[in-house]
Amino acid sequence: MEVTFWGVRGAIPSPGPATVRYGGNTSCVSVRLDDGETIMIDCGTGARNFGLSLLAGAFGKGKGCATVLLSHSHWDHIQGFPFFGPFYVPGNRFTVIGGSQDSELLERVLERQMAAQFFPVQSYRNMGAQIEMHAGREVRVGNAKITAHPNPHGPTQAMAFRIESEGKTLVYASDVGYEKDGPTQGTLTAYRNADLLIHDCTFTPEDRAQRISRGLSSLDDAVEAAVRSNARTLALFHYDQDYTDQDVDELVARGRRKLDQRGAQSTSILGAAEGVTVRL
Amino acid sequence: MRVRFWGVRGSLPVPGARTERYGGNTSCVEITSAAGTRIIIDGGTGIRRLGKELMRAEFESGKGQAHILVSHTHWDHIQGLPFFSPFYREGNRLFVYARQRDDQNLRSVFASQADAPFFPVSFDRTRASVSFRELHDGAKFEIDDVQVATTRLNHPHVATAYAIAADGARVAYVADTAPFTDILFGQEFLSGPPHQNVRLSRSDKTKLKAMASAVVRLCEGADLVIYDTMYTADEYRQLPHFGHSRPSDAIGVCSEAGVRTLALFHHAPDRTDGEVDAMLDGARLQAGQLAHKVEVLAAFEGLDIQLGKA
Repeated sequence: MEVTFWGVRGAIPSPGPATVRYGGNTSCVSVRLDDGETIMIDCGTGARNFGLSLLAGAFGKGKGCATVLLSHSHWDHIQGFPFFGPFYVPGNRFTVIGGSQDSELLERVLERQMAAQFFPVQSYRNMGAQIEMHAGREVRVGNAKITAHPNPHGPTQAMAFRIESEGKTLVYASDVGYEKDGPTQGTLTAYRNADLLIHDCTFTPEDRAQRISRGLSSLDDAVEAAVRSNARTLALFHYDQDYTDQDVDELVARGRRKLDQRGAQSTSILGAAEGVTVRL
Repeated sequence: MRVRFWGVRGSLPVPGARTERYGGNTSCVEITSAAGTRIIIDGGTGIRRLGKELMRAEFESGKGQAHILVSHTHWDHIQGLPFFSPFYREGNRLFVYARQRDDQNLRSVFASQADAPFFPVSFDRTRASVSFRELHDGAKFEIDDVQVATTRLNHPHVATAYAIAADGARVAYVADTAPFTDILFGQEFLSGPPHQNVRLSRSDKTKLKAMASAVVRLCEGADLVIYDTMYTADEYRQLPHFGHSRPSDAIGVCSEAGVRTLALFHHAPDRTDGEVDAMLDGARLQAGQLAHKVEVLAAFEGLDIQLGKA
């Protein structure tokens, strides 16, 4: 499978010269399975550029089909939904899955974003494509098995997604604030032996310590999760809106040292950046 | 009077190297009078950095005061508000103005943006004092030493244009609006361009004409007009039903109103820096051919203009 980053930022898009290399768009990751199936994980502003790339192919002709996984419905994970071009081409078909919600609730949440006072299209039903909402923690997409695992995210929850296909495993775990003891056994089982673990790394450990609990991870949390779940590669993700490219470079370098100190020399680390594709 | 641009983009923020010069943040303009009255028009993502700057002065100690005029509540004009730090400091006084609607209460529209499941900090937890003032169409009022005039625009769900006068200078903010020629917007969703053989009714034509002359009156003699010029002529032909103008529409209004400078504003998300440059060149050429010369610039993040007496 092929994993591409379209938005790697948390909270709010942060345009400007200081974020050009890693990118300022909010969370969106695409997965292309070997059998050709398309999956989009989260729908932050990065979804706009992903949509533009899809329109060049079958999705531009109304012949596309994709699955959309939503970890939770905070703005930075859904604000690209109204601007995802393939939703506006009749004939395209989408299944939207938000593991924590029943399908009616999910529909109401997305409809509120589309309401007349906020957006001129008024309803996702007016967009053109066929969009269906599904509940459920286990789905099959082509030859892939997808499981959703609820993680604590402040007073609420965010889904981590595990995608297994043709012997390869991707885990997406954004927006997670573990309890004091770190990830639970259930969480580690959901993450186990991932070829690529995309993990929330909103803050440096120092910045994290200064925040009142908002349910987000530090670099230490990401390293801890990667080491204890035996990840092959850790991708840092969901950076704070004020972190510059240099700050993120620093996070990655510190992450490398921390992995080495934990004896995880074989685990590689990267800082997720817009436009980067990782082939598993 | 000082005018500063914090966000100049329409629709949604667009980070990246292709928008680095003009900026990728959505709409936000700050106007400060010489006496220190602070007006902020629209709360797109640009307002986040303005908030951070304000927190370096009196807003940090809870002694700040600002008036936020909202053109309309589409996302790109309000999505930065939950990230505006002065809201979270006790003692600050913030006044939010927007058009009165009979179907919704202004406070609830803003509060719903900060509700679960969308945002972790509910609006009730803002520590500043926030007052909402609902405006009727054409409202005129004063904020200390600043005179504010308004008129309605032609946009889905309706938007409000503002004119701000102080220190012997006048600025108008005209966004978002379609031209006043082909479609009259109300609340309804328009799924596509109007059919070519369907003509506007006489009453719609009359309403559009009245709206257009009210906009010209609002801009009359302005030193600076900030105008929604999201579309090229080609894009307008394809998407007239989204309610945005072309540079030629803005030049027409500004020329008729005897405006000194026009700022192209609310750039489309896919407009690269080079394309904004090209749009500006075209607009300057067009404006240069008119009897009344209008100076044209393209708004960018960080643009800082001093008007009237300082």
